[in-house]
Amino acid sequence: MEYLSSDKIGIIDFTTSEVSEEPLDEELVRENIGGIGITTILHEKYKEDDPVVLGTGLLTGTLVPGSALGVITARSPISGKVVHTPLTMYTGIELKYSGFDYLVIKGKAQNPVYLWIHDGIADVEDAGELWGKDTWTCTDQIRKLMGDDVIQVLGIGGAGEAGSELAQITCNYWGSADRWGLGKIFGEKKLKLVAVRGMGLIEIAEPEEFVSQARSMIAEFRSAPFSGRQGVGDLLAELGHEDFNSWMGPLVHRHKSCFNTPIPTNTFLFLDEEPQLMKESEKDEPGVLVTDPLALLALKNLGLSAKDAGEALKACAKQGIDPYRVALLAQENGKTTLQDLLGFLPEMKASPEVSYVQEIFSPWCPRRPLWGDFGIGSDESEISQWWNRRQAVAYIFGIHPIFALMSPQLSEDKLLELAALGTDIEFDSNTIDKIVGRLID
Amino acid sequence: MNKSHNYTTFYGLSVDILGALGGRGNTSQHDHTKEQYDFCRDHYPSIGIYSGGGASHSWLWFVDLFDRFGLYNVHLISEVEIKSGAIEPLDVLCVSGGDTFRIAESLGKEGSETLRAFVEGGGIYIGACAGAYLPLKSSKQPLNLFNYVDTKIANVTKSLPQALRMHHKFSTPYGCEFIFHPVRDAVELSIGDLPPFYSTASVVAPLYGGPPMIPSSQCEVLATYKCFTDKTVFLVDRDLAAKTVINKAAVVRKEMGKGVLYLFGPHFEHPHYRQANKLLLKSIYWETNERKKGIERARPFSYQPISNSRDFLAQLKRDLSNSRIVATSLEMLPVYWIIGRKVYEPAKIREFLEAIWKRIHRLEKTENIFLKDLEQEYLQSLGSRLRDLVRELKRSIDEGKDTSELAAILFADLNRFSCMFCNIYFRTMMAASTMGE
Repeated sequence: MEYLSSDKIGIIDFTTSEVSEEPLDEELVRENIGGIGITTILHEKYKEDDPVVLGTGLLTGTLVPGSALGVITARSPISGKVVHTPLTMYTGIELKYSGFDYLVIKGKAQNPVYLWIHDGIADVEDAGELWGKDTWTCTDQIRKLMGDDVIQVLGIGGAGEAGSELAQITCNYWGSADRWGLGKIFGEKKLKLVAVRGMGLIEIAEPEEFVSQARSMIAEFRSAPFSGRQGVGDLLAELGHEDFNSWMGPLVHRHKSCFNTPIPTNTFLFLDEEPQLMKESEKDEPGVLVTDPLALLALKNLGLSAKDAGEALKACAKQGIDPYRVALLAQENGKTTLQDLLGFLPEMKASPEVSYVQEIFSPWCPRRPLWGDFGIGSDESEISQWWNRRQAVAYIFGIHPIFALMSPQLSEDKLLELAALGTDIEFDSNTIDKIVGRLID
Repeated sequence: MNKSHNYTTFYGLSVDILGALGGRGNTSQHDHTKEQYDFCRDHYPSIGIYSGGGASHSWLWFVDLFDRFGLYNVHLISEVEIKSGAIEPLDVLCVSGGDTFRIAESLGKEGSETLRAFVEGGGIYIGACAGAYLPLKSSKQPLNLFNYVDTKIANVTKSLPQALRMHHKFSTPYGCEFIFHPVRDAVELSIGDLPPFYSTASVVAPLYGGPPMIPSSQCEVLATYKCFTDKTVFLVDRDLAAKTVINKAAVVRKEMGKGVLYLFGPHFEHPHYRQANKLLLKSIYWETNERKKGIERARPFSYQPISNSRDFLAQLKRDLSNSRIVATSLEMLPVYWIIGRKVYEPAKIREFLEAIWKRIHRLEKTENIFLKDLEQEYLQSLGSRLRDLVRELKRSIDEGKDTSELAAILFADLNRFSCMFCNIYFRTMMAASTMGE
């Protein structure tokens, strides 16, 4: 595969300690485009070894607005289904430029290991020193060891090591959209973390036209209905939680966008310092980055203050545990103060019953259009059908799943056109139908 | 042996240069085309690039230039090879930027005598920036060992003018005086209608501390500084810069014995300046043709290919990748080091690493890699050491430690590693070319 690709799939077998490579076949791309179109094929191919497949969308890491997405595909310990967890912020782009298009991690290591992905090289390293440490310590140690603070770390904390169904694969210091307990699979494989750095380059088949179209879209988004909105507060207000901004507002320090995404969907809260103070922080880490608005909402619904909810998020991120399901379990068990909740964390092993158990896309993403007019009605099943298809398209092309809900301009036809310009492949207009049909059915 | 592949490469160079500069067809009195092509069939110029004591990273630009034009008979050489007389069979010796005093100190009396003998015996000396200062007439020790060209430096002063910016790169002590650098980056030059340039067009090239010259009548001035460009960075007042630089000689040619010296104030070898590159290559092309000292291309090739080239490259790549990741992160930090008389920024670490990185990919595509005894072990061990050094450098900076000593060791190792790698690279490419791979 010549364009928008590193032309390499890495297969890492922890059982045999072997790393092998295969090229990314153009025919595979022609028929499955990319992202979960291909991670699911690879998962099926190696399913006997309970693989975790990492990949990126065809357009990830390009100038196309919202092209931030990476993805983890694996069988969920809580649902038994093959599910997909989106990787936002800068993990997707680092993965895209890491020299691998896809990584299949299979088998189980005998002793703790970590995976270091860089420049098309997959190094399996001893993680004896890291096992037992929280995600913050591990992220710090890996970045210090490798000498680069941009390295992206997908890791597990104590929850994943202990085999908890609530275990989450975290992104660096913060929580992710993993509501599926995929951290447990990392733990079973004795995989403490995957560190990724992308220093590569990818070629675009028709660069001038591709860039021109991407730039036009960026300009168009400047006057989109979501323009000027920012952070988890505005996002939740749009979902009907108008009081959210006043609850969280005093702690807001800044909002943060994912790679090339025109709206910031993450918010940084200061918990230990005054957020309005214009000075360098005195603490190493004075707050928490909220990457999961619905988890914060669930903690708010427990009756916690914004500060306590932020502390709970921080504790969950360090231990690598899904804060959304923590909030559900805390509610079920009457642990409605921060102290009770934190004391209860070590006991949380089994997942609560969740409504999304039959889904394949992370419910971290709101289930309706946001500020955008997609021409769909108010019928619940119609919205649900639309949402699943929209998520599938986002995960195939590498578009931020929340941004996909507010950008009708990024239509399927448009994405196919950009993919064709990027790769010089003429995609069949029925390709998306076929892939979505295969994924959702 | 596939000979046609070989001379196609050099033939392509000739056509390229001639085409770019309007061709020799415009100057029929100098129509040597047929003769040159005959020469190309028999000879492949043997080129040495100085990368020893005092050389900065800019020798990599010569590597890039010759590599791009398919000139693979290239040898990275240090003061040791020069002193030992190993340059005698070369057609061309290129000396690029760096610390002129340190280059002169490294070469010493022995090196100066060998260098003189090399040129007088028919060799071609190409000096850029520090390499141009080196053979200019000077009373300062040890530069006075290299008084080959009677030309004055225009940017010498007893009292330094006020520096407007880049104070750390602005001047160098020169005995009781100073050499100061009025401008940096792209300047425009007038090309004289003299052989080998044969053009009245102007060309743009970058000046990074090289000399504006006032030559004696024994020298030919091939180019003069014409004007500044919108990319020129002024380190002093604009009028003073113009007075010091404009209309001064930028490229000088001086015959010495059977050989010749070319002194380039600006870096004509810089990879971003293709027109200037072609003029420099034209000089080499012209002079080697005139002198016909070139080595037979079909000479026996004495090295053996290694059997585990894939593993060897994989290990090198792994260490190099780890090093370039740290080097990129160092570029975010506000640090620089003064080593000798030169300033080194973190970006220079990656100049070395990237030069190797892109060539590893080309080596991966060749069937065989040709190494001398112990080169494999030495290169692998140096690669791992570099990775550790650059990581230690980053850690030490983060901890607020003084890293001057560590940086000096790192740059010395980087230079050593790059030289050895480039020698292997050119040797392998030469073999691949000769064998028709």
